[in-house]
Amino acid sequence: MARFAEPMARLIEELRKLPGIGAKSAQRLAFHILRASAADAEALAGAVRELKAKLRLCSICNNITDVDPCGYCSNPMRNHRLVCVVEEPTNIATIEKTRSYNGVYHVLHGTLSPLNGVGPEHLRTASLAARVSGGEVDEVIIATSPTVEGEATADYLAGMLRGTAARIMRIATGVPAGSDIEYADEVTMTRALEGRRQMG
Amino acid sequence: MHEADLIVSLFTRDQGKVKGVAKAASKSRRRFGGALEPMTHVRASYAERPRQELARLDAFEIIHSPLSEPVDYGRATALAFYAEVLEETLQDHDPQDAVFRLLLAVVEQTQVNRFWMPVTYFSLWILRLNGWLPEMTRCALCGEPFGESPAYWHPLADTLHCATHRRDGSATLSPESIALAAAILRSPVAAFASGDWPRRRAADLRRYALRSLERHLERRLTTATALMKLGG
Ligand SMILES: [Zn+2]
Ligand SMILES: [Zn+2]
Repeated sequence: MARFAEPMARLIEELRKLPGIGAKSAQRLAFHILRASAADAEALAGAVRELKAKLRLCSICNNITDVDPCGYCSNPMRNHRLVCVVEEPTNIATIEKTRSYNGVYHVLHGTLSPLNGVGPEHLRTASLAARVSGGEVDEVIIATSPTVEGEATADYLAGMLRGTAARIMRIATGVPAGSDIEYADEVTMTRALEGRRQMG
Repeated sequence: MHEADLIVSLFTRDQGKVKGVAKAASKSRRRFGGALEPMTHVRASYAERPRQELARLDAFEIIHSPLSEPVDYGRATALAFYAEVLEETLQDHDPQDAVFRLLLAVVEQTQVNRFWMPVTYFSLWILRLNGWLPEMTRCALCGEPFGESPAYWHPLADTLHCATHRRDGSATLSPESIALAAAILRSPVAAFASGDWPRRRAADLRRYALRSLERHLERRLTTATALMKLGG
């Protein structure tokens, strides 16, 4: 790698820590910031600083928010008796894009991950358990990924919530819309068959 | 190496461990789907490249996926344990047919509420296949068979000892567990499939095997710690 002036090297080093950013991208971004106006560079630095200063986790659902409770938890138009459990805050946007979900959320911030030393004691589930066992919830939809770790997490949550009055549901998985079933692997196809729905 | 590529360890039957790269992790996830889940048995197409450490992964056809059967935290931990142990014990491009067959057999047996048996079986056999398993029927010092008495092992040594020759701070292996170890070493894993195997069964043998593995690898295994937490 070429040698850069110290402030430049430092910025590149910090940018490289971001996910999906390698040495080349970090250099490109750093030079872009160097060429930008002082106001733009300051705006970026300020935004980063403010993000850390103002954002925290919602005390009800663990979503990242600047007000507590978050916008979903404090919205009276949403169905608070329906809770969708997701792995990451970014998953909420994916579900919101469907415009077909009007419940609230619970964010785990990860899954059970034996290889990474994440066990049940590390999952953020306390506030979910309290909400459900307090009788505030009719249905929980577990929307973790259909991976080994996501399934293990779903199974753990279902076990934890068993015996409460809430209905515990798992999202369906199957063949992606717009794809050809010819290319679906056996697991995907099995799930698709299990998740079949009546049409007539 | 490019940005955000995914590095995958393949355990191949004829070439041993092969490390490959899947370009652009998120795109690869879409392309390879469930084939990248740990302990998936696949038919893999990959290209080894001259002067390059990492093979280029082209296609996977799933033969058997762990997602075909129900998953819980215990089963996920057992599967992750096999993955971590193999990553630590296998050398690149060193075929290990016996380990390969062992793995296929134990993965098949590793099911929800039925994973302590294959985990114990796998740990003992990995020790044996790596030449790390000591004589298990008699005292290493005086040669006295253990018979109906427990054997003693020390966390810092391989060998098993009688009550007279045990070191301070030793743990025990019960006579039942010593007999079970002998049975494991002469029978296929399927031979134990029908019996009941609750968490407590042979917990001492499992602890011995996991600690031995960690000592030979000179590191703590994240998944062994998770298993011990589960197994009490
Ligand atoms: Zn909230
Ligand atoms: Zn002795």
